[in-house]
Amino acid sequence: MNKLSSLLIAGLMGSLPALAQDNCATAIPITAGTYVIDTIDGPQVPLPVCATGGNTATRGEWYVYTAPANVSVTVTSDLPENVAVTPGLDTRVHVYTGSCGSLTCYDGDDDAGSDYLSLALFNLQAGQSVYIAWDNRWESRGFSFSVTEGPPFSEAVTFTNVTVPVTGTLRAAVDMNNDGLDDVVGINTTTIDNVAYTTGVTIAYQQNGGGFSAVSYPTAQIPNTPSWSLCAGDLDGNGWNDLLIAGGSKVTLLFADADGNGFSNDTTYNQYVFCQRSNMVDINNDGLLDAFSCHDVQPNVYFINNGTGTFTFYQGGLGDTPNGGNYGSIWTDIDGDGDVDMFIAKCRGGNQVTSTDQFHRNNGDGTFTEVAAQYNLANFTQTWSAAWGDFDNDGDMDVMVGASSFSAGGHKLMRNDGNTFTDVTAGSGYDTFTGTNIEHITHDFNNDGYLDIMGGGNTIMMNNGDMTFTPNPVSFDVGAVGDLDNDGYMDIQTGGTARINNGVGNNYIRIIPQGTVSNKNAIGARVTITTASGTQIRDIRSGDGFRYMSYLAAHFGLGQDEEVLQVTVRFPSGIVNTIDNPSINGTLTVVEDINTSITNATKEPLVLFPVPTADLLFISGDYNVNQPVRVFDLNGKLVKQAVVNGNHITVGGLAPGMYVVEVQTNDGPVQRSFAKE
Amino acid sequence: MRPLHTLLSTCICSLVKKTVFFLTFTLAVLLSCTKDPKTEVAPLGLGDSSEKVVFDPSQVPYPTLSAYRFFKLPLAAQRPVAEVLPYEPISALFTDYAEKARFVWMPPGAKATYNGDGNVLQFPENSVLIKNFYYDGVQPGNTRRIIETRILFKRNGQWEFADYVWNAEQTEAFLDMNGSTTPVTWTDENGTTRSISYRIPSAGECQMCHKIGNTPVPIGPKPQNLNADLAYRDGVRNQLKKWVEHGFLEPGYPKNIMTTVAWDDPTEPLALRARSYLDANCAHCHAPERQCSYRAVRFEYNANGAAANQGICMEPEEPVEPSMTYNIAPGNVARSMVHYRMNTNDEAVRMPLIGRSMIHTEGVALISQYIQSLNQTCN
Repeated sequence: MNKLSSLLIAGLMGSLPALAQDNCATAIPITAGTYVIDTIDGPQVPLPVCATGGNTATRGEWYVYTAPANVSVTVTSDLPENVAVTPGLDTRVHVYTGSCGSLTCYDGDDDAGSDYLSLALFNLQAGQSVYIAWDNRWESRGFSFSVTEGPPFSEAVTFTNVTVPVTGTLRAAVDMNNDGLDDVVGINTTTIDNVAYTTGVTIAYQQNGGGFSAVSYPTAQIPNTPSWSLCAGDLDGNGWNDLLIAGGSKVTLLFADADGNGFSNDTTYNQYVFCQRSNMVDINNDGLLDAFSCHDVQPNVYFINNGTGTFTFYQGGLGDTPNGGNYGSIWTDIDGDGDVDMFIAKCRGGNQVTSTDQFHRNNGDGTFTEVAAQYNLANFTQTWSAAWGDFDNDGDMDVMVGASSFSAGGHKLMRNDGNTFTDVTAGSGYDTFTGTNIEHITHDFNNDGYLDIMGGGNTIMMNNGDMTFTPNPVSFDVGAVGDLDNDGYMDIQTGGTARINNGVGNNYIRIIPQGTVSNKNAIGARVTITTASGTQIRDIRSGDGFRYMSYLAAHFGLGQDEEVLQVTVRFPSGIVNTIDNPSINGTLTVVEDINTSITNATKEPLVLFPVPTADLLFISGDYNVNQPVRVFDLNGKLVKQAVVNGNHITVGGLAPGMYVVEVQTNDGPVQRSFAKE
Repeated sequence: MRPLHTLLSTCICSLVKKTVFFLTFTLAVLLSCTKDPKTEVAPLGLGDSSEKVVFDPSQVPYPTLSAYRFFKLPLAAQRPVAEVLPYEPISALFTDYAEKARFVWMPPGAKATYNGDGNVLQFPENSVLIKNFYYDGVQPGNTRRIIETRILFKRNGQWEFADYVWNAEQTEAFLDMNGSTTPVTWTDENGTTRSISYRIPSAGECQMCHKIGNTPVPIGPKPQNLNADLAYRDGVRNQLKKWVEHGFLEPGYPKNIMTTVAWDDPTEPLALRARSYLDANCAHCHAPERQCSYRAVRFEYNANGAAANQGICMEPEEPVEPSMTYNIAPGNVARSMVHYRMNTNDEAVRMPLIGRSMIHTEGVALISQYIQSLNQTCN
């Protein structure tokens, strides 16, 4: 039986030994060319699985290829002779490095070719060998495949697959045992009488020196699973991160025990919540971490920490659209005023009101005001998540509102211009990028000092540094992000596989702020670094994208910069700590310290603008946001008293004329005049 | 002696279109109905005129179901008073195998009007749609348990929801718009015992499916779903004709209504059964102006005849499971997202997203059979 023949040399070679390519050890050496598989019937199943579609294959066919030079290699079954077959052929291929006894996925594909045909494209160095194995996941019929070589393609970032020994629903890549190393968290579930229960938490602890050691902690049988999202943080302040399970009908808080060796759930909160994105954040800025969940079909819900081990459930005040449409909440300081705001990516068919995104600006006094329209963020793109980051490193948070569907507009890249956001999608790469997803996240994946964005199409959009992005294809979807091999490059956990970032030789620094006055994780802190290349900012967040929980730290790529001049951490409490010239290519922990806090380091002159104004009067400079602003007419009569709403007050109700504004500063009240038109 | 409610359910549920079935079935129903003296309930339309429905728009929703007087006592017998008509869509939404008894009431003299084959009838002010959800063979007593009665009523031109949860004694149901769950274990007619945590919806969950844009609407009572025979107590009638006779529908609606088929009727064409199933189970979200209209599939019956609307050869926008190449992959169930989402209970993946906690095995089998029957080539 001739199972393999090179079309080019079949006549010369005649029959090859039967079953030669039935297992890895007898893999047929091949070069560029076209080959025919009669039937997929070799007994060695290609494992691990390097493509989508699961591990139910029962047979395989094995080949080995060695690159003659530095080349890109295309292995594909998407050939005319296969396309012509009816019914259509369905193939899957795996590409391995390593030895037969220890294979590592290098690439693989299920159906990147037309219909269900496969296409794997990868770079190899001269002399590098890979095993190419086809399996019968979908069917066993034979087909042709080709191996072609081309010039190596440029990849900004590449990944190597590593299996992580964790069970359950993979949702988080975050440090759970406070050793500074990101761990992988799986939630174990079971279904009894058609009800899904959480039964345990399995944590694959990253080991010092590499690898993972998994420990499973049984929980009570909890009738809720993290089907929609999961987030983490130290809610009770006992030093161990707790978990929030956001399911289809309720929120469950899962508290780590005092010794970090188990979890117990709170059974108090049985309110109906159709959860979507969930977050932990200190909503009322009292130093105690609170919890939040988007509600799909009602106003959003949150749990305010009473500081006594109990929480109070609230519904209302943070996104009250009656029929919901709340999908991707993210808490970050959008207006740069030192407190944490919330943006909600919204989606809803047939309803522009419900699908219009919201920006809940923190008033600084525990209340929030929805101001998306004022900031040009009231967009009704159908979106489940938005990636917030300072893409142009100018010191404020920009946003890529990622479309889940193009039915009401595409992706929107919005530049933060201080008092408004400007749509800079045109020409950015996002105007032509057609991948859609419910997940949009931003991290610096190549450590070049610019935040990249990952969304749909198995693609990381690499930031070119000028608010344009270039697609970098990868072989996997968005997952939980963390540094899973402690090399300073961000890795991505999807399912049971860690996609380990191979790195590109840039420098980095990882900063872990620790709250003392503020919440322990310092969620909501703004971390700023200054290097020769400029300034970068990150906010500490619990819950970005849509579903996953990523690392609780600030990760900065430094490019080729060899030093960080200064690190500044502005804690939610207002305490600001700085570290000069820290070591790079490692982790810096910054403990919140009121004694060394610097505030009002540079006094800015008080400025009112625009003048004249019709409605909004912006106030910049050093003044006490939490004390009321008073407005007097020229007769000295008090005509308005207001708390500054982020950075402005509203004066639309005043009659045209000249007025005097009085604001409070640390040096006492200061007056400025303005004209109302 | 057979309990009355069993017979009622038999009558209501026997929905027949084929003439042969029609005659034999009608005979059977009539015979069985006359054999049992308990069935000597006044035929609808000829009943005791003192049994008046009570519906004061300024007072509804009442705190109890009995207050409306839609049903004779005992309430659990689900015997409608003369003013109230039972109805049944040709294909129904699957909700964890719950049995449903549906009724409609309109104020005396008020009539609905035809508004298109695939649109809900234009109902008059103060119309009420009533839907009882129940299980038979509920364990341990092998009894019937009515769980909830959902009501849609039209007040000031707007549909409003009211949900009544039945007490354990099955003597009354109480208004509750907050939603809840209740465990149910039952044994079906084939001897299969199943257990679920039955979800009684909150107002927000009602609205999730029952809306166009942001406006609450009924879903079922469309001419396409009603244009079939139903066995009433006084005989089998086409439901639309019955509504006219009963004074609930203006006569003069079109003769040729594009009508759905019963998804579980093997004598109907497979494609129409699949389309009817998709309409009943998916179109409340996957149609224009609905919850998920931002996805490109369109499952309403008058649109889902088009391959593109069914999602045939359409790549999914959301990478739920990457090996699902198309929403419907012709001839390839294992590559079809529609099948994948129907065949799971994962609450973040399953379709429909709410309204079921178990897989509808028979529905999945139908859609599988339909997908296998397709032979288009994608690309």
